[in-house]
Amino acid sequence: MAAAGLCPCRALLTGRGGALRALCGSVRGLAAGPETHFGFQTVTEAERREKIYQVFESVAKKYDVMNDSMTLGIHRVWKDILMHKMNPSPGTLLLDVAGGTGDIAFRFINYVRSARERQLQRKLKNHQNLSWQEISESYQEDKFKLLGDSQVVVCDINKEMLKVGKQKAQHLGYSEGLSWVLGNAEELPFDDDKFDVYTIAFGIRNVTRIDLALEEAYRVLKPGGRFLCLEFSHVSNPLLSRLYDLYSFQVIPVLGEVIAGDWKSYQYLVESIRRFPPQEELKAMIEDAGFLKVDYQNLNSGIVAIHSGFKL
Amino acid sequence: MAPRGKEGGERNRSARTAARPGPAWRAHRRRREARRTGAAAMLRRGGRCAAALLLRRAASGGGQSQGQHPGQGQGSARPQPLEPSLLRFLVCPLSKRPLRYEEATNELINEELGIAYPIIDGIPNMVPEAARTTQKKPPAEGSKQP
Repeated sequence: MAAAGLCPCRALLTGRGGALRALCGSVRGLAAGPETHFGFQTVTEAERREKIYQVFESVAKKYDVMNDSMTLGIHRVWKDILMHKMNPSPGTLLLDVAGGTGDIAFRFINYVRSARERQLQRKLKNHQNLSWQEISESYQEDKFKLLGDSQVVVCDINKEMLKVGKQKAQHLGYSEGLSWVLGNAEELPFDDDKFDVYTIAFGIRNVTRIDLALEEAYRVLKPGGRFLCLEFSHVSNPLLSRLYDLYSFQVIPVLGEVIAGDWKSYQYLVESIRRFPPQEELKAMIEDAGFLKVDYQNLNSGIVAIHSGFKL
Repeated sequence: MAPRGKEGGERNRSARTAARPGPAWRAHRRRREARRTGAAAMLRRGGRCAAALLLRRAASGGGQSQGQHPGQGQGSARPQPLEPSLLRFLVCPLSKRPLRYEEATNELINEELGIAYPIIDGIPNMVPEAARTTQKKPPAEGSKQP
């Protein structure tokens, strides 16, 4: 009975303006929340959350394979560039939100490990006239701090993605300084002023209330902390834009069907990229949350952009 | 002609194999013996207690082999308590207040609101939808509890 009334409402919604939308929203049910987008469809917030959860639940196992095939392996370069931009020193606390399968977290650990090794080597070079006692002591204390107190917490809302990430960590041998938490980016289960760096790589597109997520990011960062966001963005070059559209809409869903057996999820992916605000708009949203010195760097002429802001 | 010949050959073959103990016949003999010494047979003979013992042994044996698999999954959660370093950071997402780790039920408890967040496979589930109310205190935010 209610559904029959809903269908014409939905048709009106996609076409008309705010007043009708409000009317239909009240008819529909107040708990579902205001209207938002899921790809090119219009859905309520609750529906969008549910749908996105299902998308990632179904692609979790093939997520990494799909990333490699869709971007022809270039996503690794993007993530490496993000890590170099972050340039973490040993002792950094990183919160990686929507970091399900742990790509950023593993790169962080590798980076900090090699930075730590270089640090130790430099220390040893400077200590040339040590007694045997002092040398043995220095080896003992450094052995336990291979990471130098650095830690990364991976937070994701999807259990399947975290499961895949944890298995990957076990498989690759990452155990120290790595923690996994199931949490919502809009409502982080972390205390204020805790983390040095907050990253969200290819995840903020899937958050329903980006403004809430940005506010939470501001809250959990220490003063002086850095916010880094790696996300698909808008291409300004018209020729490249057309090629990119062609590739996105013709090739990617087909790859999704062939490799992961899921056309719809990858259709959602390319549509959500188009719906995501462009670089300048996201920069304004980050500034609204309270971050200062907000800037962005386009990679591959806008296919991907890294936004950075500081809590000062 | 040929099919009939085949059938005839098969019949002959079965007759031939019946004379010599083949693998099929050995299996059949084993089954017969099992039937003789199985629980049903014991019941038939009137040893109800012995039969019950056999069944219990079979259940525990099957349970042991089954218990290994979920046991491994649960065992990874039990000896894998929450890392104390993580406990430093975690707070309740609703009230942003510190949590208490309960070892018995492997949960993180927020005393004020009377809710508990489960820890599954060593991953704390800090979404309000997943929290359950603890029986002692009435929940402060009734609408948010599942």
